[in-house]
Amino acid sequence: MMNKIPPYLIQISDYQYNRAKTKRAELSFLDKTILNSSKAVKSIYLQAENAACDNFIQNINPKVKFISLIYMSIVVSVVSNHLTQILITAFIFLLCIIARLKLIEVYRKIFILALVFGFLVVLPASLNIITPGRIIFNIVSFNKPSHFLIYNIPQNIGLTINGVQVVSIVFLRVLNSVSFALLVVYTTPFPSFIKSFKMIGVPDTFLMIISLAYKFIFILSLTIEETYFAFKSRLSGNIKSNSIRKLVGGRIFFIFKRSMIIYNNTYQAMVSRGYKGKVVIYSQNHFTYKDFAVLVIVVLSGIVFIIF
Amino acid sequence: MMEDIISLKNVNYSYYGKIPALKNINLSIKKGEMFSIIGLNGCGKSTLLHIINALVFPDSGDLMFDGNHVTEKSLKDNSFSMQFRQRMGYIFQNPEIQLFCPTVFDELLFGPLQLNLPIETANERAEQTLSYLGIGYLRERPVYMLSGGEKKRVAIASVLTMNPDVLLVDEPLSSLDPKTQTFFIELLLELNNAGKTIIFTTHHLDLIDHLQPRVAVLSEDHTIRKAGTAAEILGDEELLISVNLIHEHIHKHGNEEHQHFHSHYRFHKH
Repeated sequence: MMNKIPPYLIQISDYQYNRAKTKRAELSFLDKTILNSSKAVKSIYLQAENAACDNFIQNINPKVKFISLIYMSIVVSVVSNHLTQILITAFIFLLCIIARLKLIEVYRKIFILALVFGFLVVLPASLNIITPGRIIFNIVSFNKPSHFLIYNIPQNIGLTINGVQVVSIVFLRVLNSVSFALLVVYTTPFPSFIKSFKMIGVPDTFLMIISLAYKFIFILSLTIEETYFAFKSRLSGNIKSNSIRKLVGGRIFFIFKRSMIIYNNTYQAMVSRGYKGKVVIYSQNHFTYKDFAVLVIVVLSGIVFIIF
Repeated sequence: MMEDIISLKNVNYSYYGKIPALKNINLSIKKGEMFSIIGLNGCGKSTLLHIINALVFPDSGDLMFDGNHVTEKSLKDNSFSMQFRQRMGYIFQNPEIQLFCPTVFDELLFGPLQLNLPIETANERAEQTLSYLGIGYLRERPVYMLSGGEKKRVAIASVLTMNPDVLLVDEPLSSLDPKTQTFFIELLLELNNAGKTIIFTTHHLDLIDHLQPRVAVLSEDHTIRKAGTAAEILGDEELLISVNLIHEHIHKHGNEEHQHFHSHYRFHKH
């Protein structure tokens, strides 16, 4: 070394840890958000990668799964009978068991999505303001009916039979659609699933972009996690949320810049391997007798559900 | 006999409870020691440093720092957390992720200010460190405008201004040109001579030869295969072959082509 070591570096730290005088340090919500988002994305990626394991449903041709997904979505939308919808729920649950998915983990996600998009969003439709009918549960009563803008507000506001039926059927439809979609996602490697989009004429270039974006999410999540660790290793105790916001702002810029570099490098790597503007994706998934059998079973089940 | 500053007992760690990263790790590192963790890529070296720095926590087993048990719970204690983070500095393999302040000088001030040092002291430390590492000319430069070697120097400087007792360095020579590598090796030796405990990971056996640390060898099955002095480890050819740190390959000398074990170090013999 050319320069003299600074005197402070030779001093031994005399920091005294006094357990009695301490305060609790807490992670800021930004820390938690960064870490949890990173964990979530990584776990989704790993699950998709693990979908290639040797199992009956995992081994079905991705194209069959893709056709089944579209077909079952139509079936679920057409069926307006509660009992049949519950039977479909049971059918999908059975498939999840056969696929050996982690049921609690998967169904937690399914119910959260179904609760938000199939229940909370349509919940107002259960009220007599939107769906007229006989009130089965009164929520609030006024002295007299009134009129507000274009709305007629009745004297009693409550849940109607028709409204509850509408909400419950929408909830079951969302639940079944989400659970079948997640069943397919959890049992199919993402690249294979994307390639099966070719069947409905999605261009190769578009599929390539989706694949790259998906891969990029993983790289980004790693960057976020590394950044979080770098923060954590140099942050001691609580710091002001104002400072945290400034740092996070700087990191967002850094991640944006890094994204640009990765995009550029990826493009150059593609060019160096012969890319001339048209992507050709290789897809080798031959249909087997088992795939045909599965497709027939799914189609027949759908017909049974619709007739029933 | 110097006392242990860091010890790990029966530490196990896996990613998402599925992919094993470390198995039954037992280590003791003494105050002022130069210690190295060597092994191939993916054997768990960086994860081990993350655990030592309490950035992640083991699935089972214990981490002790200067006689204190380090856990997620103990780090919620403000005083302990401050002491721990101040006394242990981590230089990441990729300096880019470590630099998050607008300018180089801000970066150097960040640590001391977190420790509630007076601004005059923080300024003094930052100035002295800039001078020590020969990066005074970068003082007001935004960090994204630095070269790879400059970023590494700034990353080191940003940790040094906290005056840590223990320096964790992940792959010190990664992506550095020969001149910066030499600078970094000399710096580690000097800091160690100044009393700092240095813990670094590497797969370069020549670095072990240069720095002569005590060494723990991580194998591809994520366990510690052997720990010992640099001479003991470098002298154990069978061990280094078994953990793939040296390998057999074919190469040429003039017109003569032959095959032998090779490590870019002492096993380059005929």
